[in-house]
Amino acid sequence: MIEFLKRLLGTPQGALGLFIVLLIVAVVVFGPVIATHDPEQMSILSRYKAPSASFWLGTDQYGRDIFSRLMIGARATVVMAVLATIAGTLIGALIGTTSAFLGGRADEFIMRTVDAVMSIPSLLFALLVVNLLGSSTVNALVAVAIAFAPGMARITRSVALSVRKQDYVNAAIARGESSAFIIRREMLPNVIAPIIVEMTIRVAFAVMLFATLSFLGLGAQPPAAEWGLMVSEARQYMHLSAYILIWPSVAIAITAIGFNLLGDGLRDALNPRT
Amino acid sequence: MTNTIETPVLAIRDYSLDYETANGTFHALKNIDLSIGRGEILGLVGESGSGKTSLAWSIMRYLSKNARETSGDILLSGESLLKKSNAEIEAMRGRRISMVFQDPSTSLNPTLSLGHQLSEVLMRHRKLTKQQAWREGEAMLARVGLKTPAEMMKRMPHEASGGEKQRVVIASAFACSPECIIFDEPTTALDVITSRQILDLFVELQEETGVASLYISHDLALVSRTAGRVAVIKHGDIVEQGPVASIFHAPCETYTRELIAAVPDPTRRLSSPSVETGAEPLVRVENVSVHYGRKPFLASLTGRSFTRFKGNNAVSLTVNPGEILGVVGESGSGKSTLAKAMTGLNPFEGKIWFDGREIRGLKDMTTAYRKDVQIIFQHPDASLNPRHKISEILSRPLKLYGDGSNLRQQVGDMLEKVRLPRTHADRYPHQLSGGEKQRVAIARAFASKPRLVICDEITSALDVSVQASVVELLLELQKANNTAYLFITHDLNLIRQIAHRIAVMYRGDLVEIAPAEEIESADRADYTRRLIAAVPLPAGASPIASATIASEGA
Repeated sequence: MIEFLKRLLGTPQGALGLFIVLLIVAVVVFGPVIATHDPEQMSILSRYKAPSASFWLGTDQYGRDIFSRLMIGARATVVMAVLATIAGTLIGALIGTTSAFLGGRADEFIMRTVDAVMSIPSLLFALLVVNLLGSSTVNALVAVAIAFAPGMARITRSVALSVRKQDYVNAAIARGESSAFIIRREMLPNVIAPIIVEMTIRVAFAVMLFATLSFLGLGAQPPAAEWGLMVSEARQYMHLSAYILIWPSVAIAITAIGFNLLGDGLRDALNPRT
Repeated sequence: MTNTIETPVLAIRDYSLDYETANGTFHALKNIDLSIGRGEILGLVGESGSGKTSLAWSIMRYLSKNARETSGDILLSGESLLKKSNAEIEAMRGRRISMVFQDPSTSLNPTLSLGHQLSEVLMRHRKLTKQQAWREGEAMLARVGLKTPAEMMKRMPHEASGGEKQRVVIASAFACSPECIIFDEPTTALDVITSRQILDLFVELQEETGVASLYISHDLALVSRTAGRVAVIKHGDIVEQGPVASIFHAPCETYTRELIAAVPDPTRRLSSPSVETGAEPLVRVENVSVHYGRKPFLASLTGRSFTRFKGNNAVSLTVNPGEILGVVGESGSGKSTLAKAMTGLNPFEGKIWFDGREIRGLKDMTTAYRKDVQIIFQHPDASLNPRHKISEILSRPLKLYGDGSNLRQQVGDMLEKVRLPRTHADRYPHQLSGGEKQRVAIARAFASKPRLVICDEITSALDVSVQASVVELLLELQKANNTAYLFITHDLNLIRQIAHRIAVMYRGDLVEIAPAEEIESADRADYTRRLIAAVPLPAGASPIASATIASEGA
């Protein structure tokens, strides 16, 4: 474990990514403590304020403190993105491994279905799901998870297929091991690393997808402090104060970059041969 | 032999090369001194990781970013290559100095025709027009012994065989009559018969053009056939260099002596002369055929005909208890397919009789059968799960075939049996060397006390000296347990040392089975005789070297 951390910190993208992600985790956990104001407290007198000593990042169209809203909103944004990615990965990994293991006709059928689903852009697919289920935070999560599953299924299948051809799997079959043992002990530990890497990178996409859904009014509903929603609401008041738009956008960008970098770092660190 | 008056074509003076790695500086080459005169072939011999290829790349001036040249100079006809600019080096590569790589299937661009790749060299360096270059290219292909040069020019790399491709690569290396050519294991990726032909071609062209050649190889037998002088490299150090005869017959350094002793010598038998053949053989393989490929779903709908690929074609053979049966053949001859059929990794048609029991398919391969028949694979890197500790790898067969108690003690005993320290149980495969990993794979196969072990090319991924010790271990285990081996290999010299009988395979068919002593006899099948004739005999086969080996063995 310590050796692994060393390898992760050895690469610049791994170190920076880990730093940013840890920062985000800290905000998620301690956000309400760090927040200087009540995120929903409006004040007519202090609208559209530029950053100052009392409002660190300025105020929005209702005079709410942007910094506090970002701190509180981290929970809604990041936690949702991570949950949706994990759900999507689990569904995808299950489909992919099953498909690779079954092989033959079943594999062909499953993968062609996945291809068909993948041909729909993920945002469009998420919109479709949300429209069918109604717009709410939980439905947005389900939508993102389902939109991610086909991609993960593809990746898992290709990794599982190459692992299945390895001689250690052949050796296990020749030894007379049970299928369950081969999948669980021989194949899975060798499949999991690329999946974790892919998952980390996808968290960044999920954050952006959630932001987009909220921006379109299909995810979180006002007055929630979700980052995408904040951007969406700020759009109309952009000419009065650019900060309302800039800060949540920056927060989304940093989160996306952080998870992406961590994913790159993990890819290098988890590969024992480099 | 000595041309001290003339300036050598290639001279390397006190050259050192370091690589900066995450774990500190790695000294790849240390104070190398070499020189090659006109018309001379210098053989560079060493094991993997000894710095052979690093040296080739330094001469070609193609080094990775983390390489540091700490001392010395490389001179081509007296001019220092280290001081040349990038543009000068580019103009020099291919024209004055060129290189032939190990694997022609990766050194040729798969998307360009062979003629295009050959004429490009001529157009760039000899400033010929496209038509001139194409004509010249054809002439060159005729010179390297290709029968239909005009047609060959138009072919794509995948439409030519490995030997034909390597001939094209050699033609393009000789294309601009360079002063020096570097051959980096040019025959290693080829089959025995093809590599012999390529080698003959190389010697012929070399004599004709008088080019200075650096011939890099791990195969001592091969180098002794071609080179005039030999340099032996170990961990980036040239330990010894001199004329072939003196290096091979009177080596000064112990390392050279060990290297020569490790080369398999068919005249020196390592296993017991014969086994008593009982009434009943241990295994009888009867008309076993294996087909690859499944009829595509769409093909069956459209009614298109579909022919399956034949891996094995009605192969029949027997293995007696305690016997070593060698199986030889070129790549793609169906050796491994047979091994896979016998271990239930491939579905097969036909019958296998094991110890009187009939095996018709996968369903008949019970735990008892699997316990008695074990397989060891070629690459230990692939056959040992990288995420499992050695202790877990070795304890699986114990748990599967019965005695799962006191695992730690048993795993330790298994490691000691293959001469590895008990503490290796706590390591992961990547923390072990190639030879150590293969020993772990051997220990795993012997855990169930099998009666037949199938060895699928198990020594071909290893260095000569490691190979020798692994073979020794196998023979020891065979004597101790009276295990029968089905020993699959393409190394004829090795198999003639250890096998009792040798089965020759060609394109899925079993050509013949002959006792190892009689494999050279004139009564053998035509293919067998060609195979035997193509194998380069080791230099150590001469009486002086044999005497050295005998004293080492004592």
